[in-house]
Amino acid sequence: MQRQTVIGRGVRVVLLTLVGLFFLFPIFWVLLMSFQTNQDILRIPPSLVFTPTLENYGALISGRLESTAGVLEIRFMNNLMNSVILAVSSVALSLLLGIPAAYAFARFKFRLGEDIAFTLLSFRFAPPLLVLLPLALYFQQMGLIDTYIGLIWVYQLITLPLILWIVRGYFEDISEDIEHAYRLDGNGWFKTFTRIAIPLAKPGIAAATLLSFIFAWNNFVFALILASADKQPVTVGALAFVTASGIQYGQIAASIVLSVTPTLLLALYAQRYLVEGLSLGAVKG
Amino acid sequence: MSYLSLGKLKKRFKNEVVLDGASLDVERGETVVVFGPSGCGKTVLLRLIAGINEPDSGTVHIAGQEVTYLAPEHRDVGMAFQNFALYPHLSAFDNIASPLSARGVARGEIERRVHEVAGLLKIDHVLHHLPKALSNGQKQRTSLGRALAGNPGVLLLDDPLRNVDAKLRYEMRLELPRVLKAFETTVIYVTQDYKEAMALGDRVAVLMGGGFRQVDRPASIYKDPDGTDVARLFGDPTVNLVPGTIEGGTVTALGARFPLAVSLADGPCQIAIRPESITVTLDEATSAGATPVDLGIGEDTHAVPVELDAVTPLNVRAVMLLRTADGRELLATCSEDEASRLPRGHGRGHAHIRAADLLLFDPAGRRVRPGERQ
Amino acid sequence: MATEALGRPVMDGSRRPFMRRALPYLLSLPALLVCIGILIPFGTAVYYSLQRYNLAFPMTRGFIWFENYTLLFTDPGFWNTVRVSLLYTLYTVGFELVLGLAIAMLLQRRSFFNNTMSILLLLPLMIAPAIAALMWKLMTNPGFGILSYFASLLGFPDFKWASASSSALFTVVLIDIWVYTPFMMVLLLAGLRALPRQPFEAAELDGVPQSFVFFRITLPMLTPYIITASLFRMLESIQQFDIIYAMTQGGPGNSLMVFQVAAYLERYQYTNVGRSAAILMVLWAITFLLSNIFIKQWLRLRERARGVA
Repeated sequence: MQRQTVIGRGVRVVLLTLVGLFFLFPIFWVLLMSFQTNQDILRIPPSLVFTPTLENYGALISGRLESTAGVLEIRFMNNLMNSVILAVSSVALSLLLGIPAAYAFARFKFRLGEDIAFTLLSFRFAPPLLVLLPLALYFQQMGLIDTYIGLIWVYQLITLPLILWIVRGYFEDISEDIEHAYRLDGNGWFKTFTRIAIPLAKPGIAAATLLSFIFAWNNFVFALILASADKQPVTVGALAFVTASGIQYGQIAASIVLSVTPTLLLALYAQRYLVEGLSLGAVKG
Repeated sequence: MSYLSLGKLKKRFKNEVVLDGASLDVERGETVVVFGPSGCGKTVLLRLIAGINEPDSGTVHIAGQEVTYLAPEHRDVGMAFQNFALYPHLSAFDNIASPLSARGVARGEIERRVHEVAGLLKIDHVLHHLPKALSNGQKQRTSLGRALAGNPGVLLLDDPLRNVDAKLRYEMRLELPRVLKAFETTVIYVTQDYKEAMALGDRVAVLMGGGFRQVDRPASIYKDPDGTDVARLFGDPTVNLVPGTIEGGTVTALGARFPLAVSLADGPCQIAIRPESITVTLDEATSAGATPVDLGIGEDTHAVPVELDAVTPLNVRAVMLLRTADGRELLATCSEDEASRLPRGHGRGHAHIRAADLLLFDPAGRRVRPGERQ
Repeated sequence: MATEALGRPVMDGSRRPFMRRALPYLLSLPALLVCIGILIPFGTAVYYSLQRYNLAFPMTRGFIWFENYTLLFTDPGFWNTVRVSLLYTLYTVGFELVLGLAIAMLLQRRSFFNNTMSILLLLPLMIAPAIAALMWKLMTNPGFGILSYFASLLGFPDFKWASASSSALFTVVLIDIWVYTPFMMVLLLAGLRALPRQPFEAAELDGVPQSFVFFRITLPMLTPYIITASLFRMLESIQQFDIIYAMTQGGPGNSLMVFQVAAYLERYQYTNVGRSAAILMVLWAITFLLSNIFIKQWLRLRERARGVA
């Protein structure tokens, strides 16, 4: 669109390089750290030349951290497993609850549906602690505190509105006549829902699943309040680990790398769905 | 009872009454074209028959069984939608096969039936394509094929030729009756095009003002409309409407006095004259010695002095704009051949109209028929 | 005329089947239950905020109407919380908007390099904010942190980052910018690329200066996107918890005592449930207002996107 001069082009390249450095260097640096021994890490000035070691990852995976103070048992792999369990189950449950509801809200314009959709969305943006603090007390009474089920239930707060609102938009975009035609062919509504509506809303379901998985994985505050060590996901676990391991910086870096790898890979793999998901479908990617 | 019977159907959306007591009986194997101005509720009517919408009151019977509130999948009704409504993720074959596989027909039988239907509709060669790879005409045929494949008791066609180009529409208008007859199914065909209505319907049902205004054979509706509104819907160019007065067995209009074959009560009336029943002669031609009879005009015609204002060719016919002495405009048609003999632009002449071609209506627009004394 | 299984209508066409009417409600029932699951604790929170309720002194528990609120509004500590939260929101959203818009404009032209870059720039957004804070904690470590090293090269040998009250806000704002600028960037980039081309082509033909094009054409047309993205970010920023909690737990002193951190500490350190609930209710009132405006903006933008697509 704009005329490009040589200087303009040069300025553009310099600016983009700076931007790239700012946003990508921290990831790169922590990745390097995770392959360094503590001696390499503590060297001043920092150097890019070092002998990479897998020691840090080995310690995390074996769960035994040997330091000068003695042997420390760590359960970081347990945290990682918890993250997988929580994120996968929450998203699966949200899909199970959210897709039929999204379909109902899209197809049958009814007052109650509109109200539910708005309440869920507005609580998506309400302070999570407001609900969490009283909920912690209820969970204690109900025996749900520090259980996967309790956590997965609360995770619906973030995953369900996302799925509901993104998928709903996609259902609304399907011509109703296509579904009517399928009914007239002799199929019931349920078959119409599973064979026509869901396949046609697939891109939206993919975008919503991706985004809600990332949000669930990255959640911190829910588990901080409702879970103890053996149910905590990586976000809370990594913070606890920093406190426990003290000066084992290499292991800290390795734990960070392990924590972020799943979401980063997923984002790169399914990047075409990211934009639409991030804007709740308000911007077509 | 008729095969398909609609009893006093009423349907409103928000504050708008769309259907207000529409009743219709359709015999088995009959094709009835539902015709009316846009927004008269034609599509809503189809949706009530299909079970997509429910009426506020009234009944729908198919094959003697009440189905008013029965789900679409249990009605034995097929429908081709105006926007085709093909399944975008399924091939043309699977689209057409859909009603068959829904009924659990065996794979081999499905293959056979789909190819039969596709052959009839000439889309054999594109069966493996997805809808987005089909041309508009192929989409339209696929959607028709899907509606036909299940051999439904009632077939609903919602203006299926609306979204295809003129050439294809013309072809299909010729081809459709053959296809529909091959299936011996009962058809409700909705259209906004009167030519389509005339060409395809065993009967035409005119839907206006929430109900059926007139249901009759196409020729009868054209020749014998129940009201000026119906008369106006059929014909291109539209019918001429002029005021007249009935007095002592004659009707006076356009300055001429036409005898009436039957006796009607005296008073004002409206008269409809089809453009093609007006024959125009120019004074130059007649003064040159030709008589009306030479020009093929019958003895019982009445000549109205007119001025020819313009001639517009329209396909094989030409439309003439005439002006009577009192400034009223009339439309008349003639063949291109005849038109070529008329001078372009202005010219004085006469419009010849047979008394038998006059359609008489009361001032409110209702048909006045012999024997119906007012 | 036998009654069929659930979900299929009775084969009698003369009656309105109950199931068809109930279907939308049945389909949304689970979502409804989750909704109730949220509304009950919300109601409880409102109730707590009207109570004198400290877990350490269960005997003193009682209904006190708005005393928690009046106590809050006369407490300078609370006003510090309001000030820090608003500053945090202002700085983060402001810088992210300017930076995000600038990057989006740099990447506007579609090319392999620009598309790759825009995807790579999304990566910080995919990292949990709490983990991002840990990364920055490592980078700002006084002993080996690369940023501390850079700071010393620039002549600040003893820059304390988040450990000093003077630079703590700067540090967490920087982390927030690192995590969330990509969000602004990606929405504005999509917005920029969706703009009609004609006005720009006309401006170029007329030789209109670039600054004029930017302020009179680009910005006004981009406004709906800017408003939606900014509102969304404001909603998150005003209630930021993860980054600040993971970095300093609100310290040093109370220099980073934003709403949610203050409420968390009130509840878990001082066991004052009533006061904690009151703080959150004030925050909720702010977010409720913002989210209503946001949802309206977002729905409007979504309608537009649908119209285009």
